[in-house]
Amino acid sequence: MSENAKKDYLCEAVPPFTIATAMEEASRCLLCLDAPCSQDCPAGTNPGDFIRAIRFRNFKGAAEIIRTNNVLGGICARVCPYEVLCEEACSRTGIDKPIQIGRLQRFATDYEKASGFEPLEKVEATKEKVAMIGSGPASLTCGAELAQKGYAVTIFEEKAIPGGVLSYGVVPARLPQYIVDEEIELVKSLGVDIVCNTKIGKDKSIEDLKNDGYKAFFIGAGIQAPKMLNIPGTDLDGVTNAVEYLGSAKPSNGKIEPGSKVVVIGGGDVAMDCATTSRQIGSEKTMILYRRTREEAPAHKIEMSYVEELGVHMHYGFTPEEIVGKDGKVVAIKGKGFRDDSMIQLECDKVIFAIGQQPDDSVKSIADIKFSPKNTIVADEEEDCKTDVPYIFAGGDIVNGGKTVVQAVAVGKTAAESIEAYLSKEAK
Amino acid sequence: MNKRKHADLSVDFLGFKCENPFMLSSSPVAANYEMCSKFLEAGGGGVVFKTIGTYIPDECSPRFDHVRKEGQPFLGFKNMEQISDHPYEENMHFLRQLKKDYPTKCLIVSIMGSNEEDWTKLAKDVTEAGADIIECNFSCPQMTQENMGSDVGANIELIEKFTKATLAGTDVPIMLKMTPNIELMEVPATAAIKAGGHAIAAINTIKAITHIDLDQMTALPVVNGKSSVSGYSGAAAKPIALRFIANMKQDPFLKDIPISGIGGIETWEDCAEFISLGCTNLQFTTSVMQYGFRVVEDMISGLSIWMEEKGYKSIDDFCGKALNNIVPAEDLERDFKVYPKIDYDKCVGCGRCYISCFDGAHQAITWDAENRKVEIDEDKCVGCQLCLHVCPVADCITPGKVVFKPEDQFGLGSEAKYVEGGPNKRDIIVGQYDE
Ligand SMILES: Cc1cc2nc3c(=O)[nH]c(=O)nc-3n(C[C@H](O)[C@H](O)[C@H](O)COP(=O)(O)OP(=O)(O)OC[C@H]3O[C@@H](n4cnc5c(N)ncnc54)[C@H](O)[C@@H]3O)c2cc1C
Ligand SMILES: Cc1cc2nc3c(=O)[nH]c(=O)nc-3n(C[C@H](O)[C@H](O)[C@H](O)COP(=O)(O)O)c2cc1C
Ligand code: SF4
Ligand code: SF4
Ligand code: SF4
Repeated sequence: MSENAKKDYLCEAVPPFTIATAMEEASRCLLCLDAPCSQDCPAGTNPGDFIRAIRFRNFKGAAEIIRTNNVLGGICARVCPYEVLCEEACSRTGIDKPIQIGRLQRFATDYEKASGFEPLEKVEATKEKVAMIGSGPASLTCGAELAQKGYAVTIFEEKAIPGGVLSYGVVPARLPQYIVDEEIELVKSLGVDIVCNTKIGKDKSIEDLKNDGYKAFFIGAGIQAPKMLNIPGTDLDGVTNAVEYLGSAKPSNGKIEPGSKVVVIGGGDVAMDCATTSRQIGSEKTMILYRRTREEAPAHKIEMSYVEELGVHMHYGFTPEEIVGKDGKVVAIKGKGFRDDSMIQLECDKVIFAIGQQPDDSVKSIADIKFSPKNTIVADEEEDCKTDVPYIFAGGDIVNGGKTVVQAVAVGKTAAESIEAYLSKEAK
Repeated sequence: MNKRKHADLSVDFLGFKCENPFMLSSSPVAANYEMCSKFLEAGGGGVVFKTIGTYIPDECSPRFDHVRKEGQPFLGFKNMEQISDHPYEENMHFLRQLKKDYPTKCLIVSIMGSNEEDWTKLAKDVTEAGADIIECNFSCPQMTQENMGSDVGANIELIEKFTKATLAGTDVPIMLKMTPNIELMEVPATAAIKAGGHAIAAINTIKAITHIDLDQMTALPVVNGKSSVSGYSGAAAKPIALRFIANMKQDPFLKDIPISGIGGIETWEDCAEFISLGCTNLQFTTSVMQYGFRVVEDMISGLSIWMEEKGYKSIDDFCGKALNNIVPAEDLERDFKVYPKIDYDKCVGCGRCYISCFDGAHQAITWDAENRKVEIDEDKCVGCQLCLHVCPVADCITPGKVVFKPEDQFGLGSEAKYVEGGPNKRDIIVGQYDE
């Protein structure tokens, strides 16, 4: 995504299409039979059809196709790893390069906003009450779909702002907060209530909600707890993790203490996001410590090049051994060779762990359902999102262990179908 | 998810209540049961079945060509086809089956005879087979036989004779499909209506040569070293179709005669344009040949969303609405000019406006080579807006200040009231870099 990246923290990296440039791009589309791009969108957003609509200057119709299939279409347009989804499948690759599907999707949803077009019609809530636990993309989608089927939906979120990782994880250069806010408003406008500052399992229990009349539950709690390494010094002042770092930078528009010499541990996209963020909000020097080689790093290479362009020092082949402190504060990190006996010591005042997230034990207090040994909820999210309790459904990161936003959207749709089927059967 | 309801597209055409005005025009796209059925299933309001004659033509191969400009294909499309090549009885069978399976869809059947007996027999047979409306093809430019095709459309005597002959064979409404290969369509159209016809379909293809093959020194497509003048259709035909239709709709005798608009229709906007000139039925072929029947899906969606937003409850609400605003050139107000306005935040400094203004207009743009900056010299600018048309950046040059010319030769001041709005009005600028 960083092809045209700008170096400003709050600046959306990829510029938008205008009508003229969107038409040019849509004219490149081959308008394929059984469009492969559509087949490869997990959420069924149907790019084949919406690009065709753009091509025939039916811009609002394009927005309508997107929204009816994927209520978070403007968000997905920005955060999806399309190069491994729809764009990877694109037939145009056989001629030169794939259609920029994500950007066209963004064009259509931007147009929708600019023209004040509202593609979806609110449905009166006449059916049962359903609760969503967590307000990430899985719950937002499931809630919107159920509200459109006539259910009375409330989303409960433990944090002060809704959106899950969308609001506190994905960097503004990829997903500005105003887009998240607008799409959450869209979900609300369909009749979905969002109650923040309410942790289910602590402030309220599922039993309480049952007493309040809720008949079915969807758990889209995501995974928030950072994975840490069991090495000396992780409790020092200055040691943090990706979710905390990115999650405090985004709501404050980057106004946090960046750290002057920052070491990011990890080699995935989130590690790159942390490195980029630290540079953009003013670190003096940022370093990445990753145990394998550049080739083995799971981050997108284009993101890595961008990080390198920003002057981040990449240290491959080292695994952290100890964080060194002085007066309770971080002053350095020591690493040793992952595959040899090399040694490294980097001076720093901030260490960010970006080696992944895992569910913490508190998820078990949400409901008495079956969990895997890794603390994820046991459910088949491709099939029906059912847990072992008939009225409780689950999906998204808390089930799959951490995938993508578009996967969460896909699951939200599956769960809504499944909840409808369950409640219709109960009603009989 | 629940789509918002959009405007109703149903419209009365010659007494038939069509669910929408979108129809395949008579051509290979509507040549058999399967094709028509697939289109109707995709949402089309009806079909005009491929022209049925009393004989089976012998077609050439290859038979198509298309015109590109820069990268865009299919700006215009040339074909050398004639009428249906299916056996007569098979066509009657298709028609019966279509009417049986799609009773609510409008079945229009195109026919073409070479003499009066033919026309009467064809009309009788297709009526029996289920035609709701008959379209008389007076306009195919590549018929190989005399007194057929566009020969008829340009010959008042034949038009009258064949219209009457058709009426003798049927009691359903008949529509006459006109050739654009004439100067005034009002003349043959009036003759056809006076002879008893009920509606006009316009236009058929335009006689054309699209390309010359510079090795073989003949036109395209090359049929064993030779080629012919033949019919041109698609996007390039639309402006020509629109003008014939406007002329007919503004003709005092023809103004209330229903018109089926044809020529380059591909998008809902094309449809809206034909309707705004008074068409209550729309037909298309070339867009289907290029993209398939699915074009109708975006016509339905796009037109109904637009109508809803405009507050038009039905097609009748805006049908013909543009006609009053299309006036003879001498009636245009000429006492002001609209200067172009350059948005320097958008300008990429390509200098195309400068080139076009200098070489093609009034040398009214200055070029600061150092800064690659263009500026409009209002003393020289005549407000032709050529620059606006060539600027490659969306909404970079827009209509700006309106200035009234000095008093005219009779010392009279301007009474013009300037109506806002420019060529890019429908295009809203979208996207933003940051908040
Ligand atoms: C830093 C980062 C960057 C990412 N970037 C991308 C990207 O660019 N593209 C992409 O496709 N994916 C990305 N992902 C992955 C993606 O964000 C997730 O897969 C997706 O958000 C999962 O959605 P979800 O609805 O399952 O959970 P989440 O988005 O995690 O939302 C769960 C919500 O539930 C709340 N919650 C948890 N427990 C409770 C409780 N007991 N009561 C009430 N509320 C509760 C949480 O506070 C949270 O708000 C990224 C992930 C991270 C961490
Ligand atoms: C291949 C081809 C065959 C056609 N055959 C017929 C025909 O049999 N009868 C007829 O009335 N018009 C025929 N037409 C003309 C079309 O019906 C239509 O009037 C014309 O193509 C303009 O519309 P368009 O720009 O949408 O294609 C044919 C056009 C094409 C391209
Ligand atoms: S696969 Fe590519 S070329 Fe084909 S329809 Fe999809 S975007 Fe267009
Ligand atoms: S409006 Fe015409 S004359 Fe004026 S600057 Fe543009 S091209 Fe030149
Ligand atoms: S054509 Fe447009 S972009 Fe190019 S110099 Fe002129 S105003 Fe600028």
